[in-house]
Amino acid sequence: MKKLGFKIWLAIIVLIASILSIFLSSNGLTVFQKGVLVTSVEQNSTAYEQGFRQGDIITSIDGNLITNVSDFAKYTQEKYPSESEVKTTFKTKYSEIIFFSDSAPDITISKIPKTSLKTGLDLAGGSRAMVKAQDKELSAEEINDLVSITTNRLNVYGLSDIKVTPITDLSGNRFMLIEIAGATPKDLRNTIESQGKFEAKIGNETVFIGGDKDIASVCRNDATCARIESCQQASSGEFYCTFIFSVYLSEGAAEKHASITEKIDLNVSNPEYLSEPLDLYLDDVLVDSLLINKNLKGQVTTQIAISGSGTGETQDDAIKNAQEQMHKLQTILITGSLPYKLEIVKLDTISPLLGENFTKYILFAGIAALLSAAVIVVIRYKKVKQSLVMILTSFSEIVIVLGVASLIKWNLDLASIAGILATIGTGFDDQIVILDESINKKTTSNLKERIKKAFAIIMGAYATVAVSLLPLMWAGAGLLKGFAITTIIGISVGVFITRPAFGELVRRIEE
Amino acid sequence: MEESHSETQKKSWHDKYYKVLLIIPFSLVVFSFIYLGLFYSQHNDIMLKDISLTGGTSVTLNDNLIDATDLEDFLQNRLEEMTFKEISDLTTGEKVAIIIETKTDAETTKKILEEYLNYELTDENSSMEFTGSSLSTSFYKQLLIALLISFVFMSIVVFLLFKNAVPSGAVIFSAFADILMTLATVNILGIKMSSAGIISLLMLIGYSVDTDILLTNRLLRRHEGTVNEKISGAFKTGITMTLTSLIAVLVSFFVVNSFSSVLSQIFTILIIGLIFDMFNTWITNVSILKWYVERKK
Repeated sequence: MKKLGFKIWLAIIVLIASILSIFLSSNGLTVFQKGVLVTSVEQNSTAYEQGFRQGDIITSIDGNLITNVSDFAKYTQEKYPSESEVKTTFKTKYSEIIFFSDSAPDITISKIPKTSLKTGLDLAGGSRAMVKAQDKELSAEEINDLVSITTNRLNVYGLSDIKVTPITDLSGNRFMLIEIAGATPKDLRNTIESQGKFEAKIGNETVFIGGDKDIASVCRNDATCARIESCQQASSGEFYCTFIFSVYLSEGAAEKHASITEKIDLNVSNPEYLSEPLDLYLDDVLVDSLLINKNLKGQVTTQIAISGSGTGETQDDAIKNAQEQMHKLQTILITGSLPYKLEIVKLDTISPLLGENFTKYILFAGIAALLSAAVIVVIRYKKVKQSLVMILTSFSEIVIVLGVASLIKWNLDLASIAGILATIGTGFDDQIVILDESINKKTTSNLKERIKKAFAIIMGAYATVAVSLLPLMWAGAGLLKGFAITTIIGISVGVFITRPAFGELVRRIEE
Repeated sequence: MEESHSETQKKSWHDKYYKVLLIIPFSLVVFSFIYLGLFYSQHNDIMLKDISLTGGTSVTLNDNLIDATDLEDFLQNRLEEMTFKEISDLTTGEKVAIIIETKTDAETTKKILEEYLNYELTDENSSMEFTGSSLSTSFYKQLLIALLISFVFMSIVVFLLFKNAVPSGAVIFSAFADILMTLATVNILGIKMSSAGIISLLMLIGYSVDTDILLTNRLLRRHEGTVNEKISGAFKTGITMTLTSLIAVLVSFFVVNSFSSVLSQIFTILIIGLIFDMFNTWITNVSILKWYVERKK
């Protein structure tokens, strides 16, 4: 057998590297993995404390092998929720977690993906929001602040697998893009849109507001200083649950509290307390009024207990609601408010159900398109060998594009898929130019020169397509970037790696 | 042998009439311009836009038990500018989902749908996409700017490649005519363009230019053979290229048509564009180039 030559070797090496990049994950080859993947772990939850981490692969529960999501559900539902804390042994790929609790671990799981390719929201499901300030142009700095506040809030709300990024479009408008993979959190719109202006007032005077200027720290996830206190059933049948948590004020805020309370008299009818309460406002709505104990009058206190309540039709609902309310207040106290109102300009929530079907159809369409184009080539040139090499080349171009996408952790969305289709199209065109040139018997120049000529045409076409795609990197706030990126990767891989290899192969077949 | 016979017949005919042939593309370009002008005066825009460019809500209901006609009747008066589409499984033909698009905002649309369906819409039984009108207006503007910039970039590269006004001008004019004629056809067919539709116009630039570059390259840079031989050689290669693309796009179109309106619009526009591209490369561009080469002699 003749030596393969540099161009062909290069194409083979890149192809193998791409296949590895698609099927290799941090846990080894994806195709050999068994178990279920932990996609997220609630922060500061028991599960987190006891060792669960995102990306773990659970292989067995109490010695029972876990091969799919329903196995996992079956074994956890058998044991939880339970009356008292019970022990469960979760075996993960690299360790063993001994879990003690009365409720199932706060984790979300999914089957292990077959490849390390990431699909975009429009294929995998999830939600996406684009946000801008109402009636205000944000500076780069302001948008970065907004991104960090929003990230904090979404984290506090227990959402994982979120991506918050600032984006700028072609006309210089700035937006914040929030992308959440998987299930859409309820009330996402309110969570994002809420300005979160928290004010604690006595009469008309503001004592403190949310944010780190006035608030030193907030107690959370610690039952000694943040908890649901009591639940009651009202005469209407509804349940009420009250929560309470401690807030530690900064020096300045504490002194302000002292000077304001100093001037307030004791309540005549209820002399244990002061005559004016501490009113808590959230986005200008009164959420609670707290009576101030007479002992606090004029005192510089840094610790303040904040309370409130939640309601529900059952006690469980009321507890849940109270917890949510507490969470929300805590979040806002920590992160502070935004100095402007937000407007959601785009909000997509996409069900993961259709995505799977979709991927199947696109694969089918791609293969059908490739085969039918090959049929035309066979009919036109009556060369089966070359046509097979052509399909092989186009196929390896797709694999390499996917490999690069997986390497740069690009989320393949619908626009990216359209880009891959565009790559196949130009790829076939280029190969026809090469094939045609190589079998052109009329000229006097030799085969090598003719293939060189073919590449003059191909490089010209490549340059025009590549530059014409550039504006799409920014137009439409980058939502169409996927198309530009996959096409540019695809045609670049094509003209520099696979199509030269194709030229070489055709030359060898012809000789 | 029959093929070469008809070639010689065609050649002499082509030699006589190729300049006259140019009348067809030029009158089509003029017609497209007039049509787009009239269209603009009527609609105040150069194309009809769907909700991805005007703003609105798109809801996909993953529920195959809904009585589609009943739901459509129910929504008709309640949602603004509604379009209703059922999608079905390609292999079984089974109905899988209903897509409703409307200019009404997401919250209201959701409420109206829930009223009819009697259950809550969640991310398990439906998908919802909402785009505000201010965003989509700026989207639209930017996509048109992007299209324009792409075209300018392409023109610069083409000019750098051939460093000669007439041949580069011919390539650029053919690409322009492709896009113009495609857009006019899209409007005549009454297709509502989405952002993906505008992208496919941009894709056309790429598809259109490569056959033109092939032709120009063969005609101006090769020294073997007569002009007509070079043209017919380039024609055989180029038409194979366009035909394979066209077949690939047609097949893809039939596969995704029942499933994704985004992709099927991309493919529809590419099909129209590729047909015009054959016309513009092998009539418009060939005639201009042939004229140029003959004059230079």
